[in-house]
Amino acid sequence: MITPISALGRGVARSISRLGALARFFVRTLVAIPTLSRAGRRVLLRVLIRQIWFTAVQAVPLLIILASILSFLVISQAVRELGRIGATELIGSLMVIAIVRELGPLLTALVVAGRSGTAIAAELATNKVMGELNALEGMGIDPWHYLVLPRFGAAILSISGLIVLFDVVAILAGFMAAATAGMTAARYFEIVLASLTFRDVWMSVVKGVVFGTIAGMIPSFAGMSVRGASTEVPIAASQAVVGSIFFIFLGSGLFVLLI
Amino acid sequence: MSDAPLFFEDIPLPGLADGALTLEVAAHTATVIQAPETSGVDLLSRYALGLQKPPGGRVILLGEDLSSLPRRVALAFRRQVGYLPAGDGLMQNLSLRDNVALPLRFASSMSEGEIDGRVGVIVAQFRLTDHADHRPAAVTDELRRRTALARALAFDPPLILMEDPFDGLTTKAATDLLALARGGETEEGSRRVVFITGQQVPIAVEKRIERRYRLARGQLQLDT
Repeated sequence: MITPISALGRGVARSISRLGALARFFVRTLVAIPTLSRAGRRVLLRVLIRQIWFTAVQAVPLLIILASILSFLVISQAVRELGRIGATELIGSLMVIAIVRELGPLLTALVVAGRSGTAIAAELATNKVMGELNALEGMGIDPWHYLVLPRFGAAILSISGLIVLFDVVAILAGFMAAATAGMTAARYFEIVLASLTFRDVWMSVVKGVVFGTIAGMIPSFAGMSVRGASTEVPIAASQAVVGSIFFIFLGSGLFVLLI
Repeated sequence: MSDAPLFFEDIPLPGLADGALTLEVAAHTATVIQAPETSGVDLLSRYALGLQKPPGGRVILLGEDLSSLPRRVALAFRRQVGYLPAGDGLMQNLSLRDNVALPLRFASSMSEGEIDGRVGVIVAQFRLTDHADHRPAAVTDELRRRTALARALAFDPPLILMEDPFDGLTTKAATDLLALARGGETEEGSRRVVFITGQQVPIAVEKRIERRYRLARGQLQLDT
């Protein structure tokens, strides 16, 4: 009887300890920002741009496809069903609440976490296993400045930008769906824009920052936490994706509950 | 307190019979400690740079005990010292040229043009020009080691710490590497202080090292 309880207790203690380590990692990342030298900022910008290329630009085709298909399916179904009861103007609310406010940020963050989270964790874990972190420290370069901050910044900027792109593509794809059901462009954009408030835009920005923080921090933490064996690299990549997905869903749920 | 550029005082080492190492690395010398990995000698450079705190004793590097300095100050201080870690520690996603440029880009007030000029000179001096745009995975061990040394010496530091620098190198390549690390000769000896830990040191290279210590039967013996 005691064995399963103690095993459960150990598991909970390990999880709490890991959460504490993640919080310390996050604080250490924030503390590293003001200590960056002017020369260091130039290097960071260079790495940041490269990371945005991998994280945001290369994800654009996938995101356009996802946003188009999702929006086309939802709006084409909605136009048909709502048309039967003469409530097609509700597709504006559906578009804004379901897609722009909820699914857009969520799917965008999941795409980035899946594509780039594994890459970030695997890259940082490999850096550590290959002794590159040790070498950086030995040269007087803070690995947080060179490795973590650019990935953290790139994740936030990329997710924020991609959410905007997702929303724009979704709205356009929604129009295609509505148009096939005979709705005019003027009518469609009138009802969608009437449903869209400043709060929705503001919430998208906040979600971009929160989800970007999650998608940047958790893979970086997983990658930097390896001890030195190459077998830890795929484990770190897996932990990064699972952890990011969990916290993104948790964050999405908290947004609905709290705001 | 010793005024030697590098001074180890009572550093516990599992490989030593009396348990602790006290050693001065004198100016204008190259010093090597040859010992198996399990002896703990391979950690001496890490202790010196404050990358790892020794379990006891202290290390004075250019007059400072780095383990007692705040992290930010210790990071800046390390730029006064060259460090060639075991393996090479090169960034795999950067070309050899960008690896050499990295410390200059990160920690100097030089413009990008000045950095390019300086890196060009270093790359030529270390005979890397033909391979400078390759990544580490695409070149030989010798070129990687040469690049790592070039990077460590980018600021022309007065002292360099090297871990297992000659592993896998031919005698000629190892001799060249040591000559580059010494940075030329003065009337008093090596222009740069060189401290080496490792297991393999070719005999031809040993002859060019002023102080050679070997760990045998738990005692650190000075070869003469």
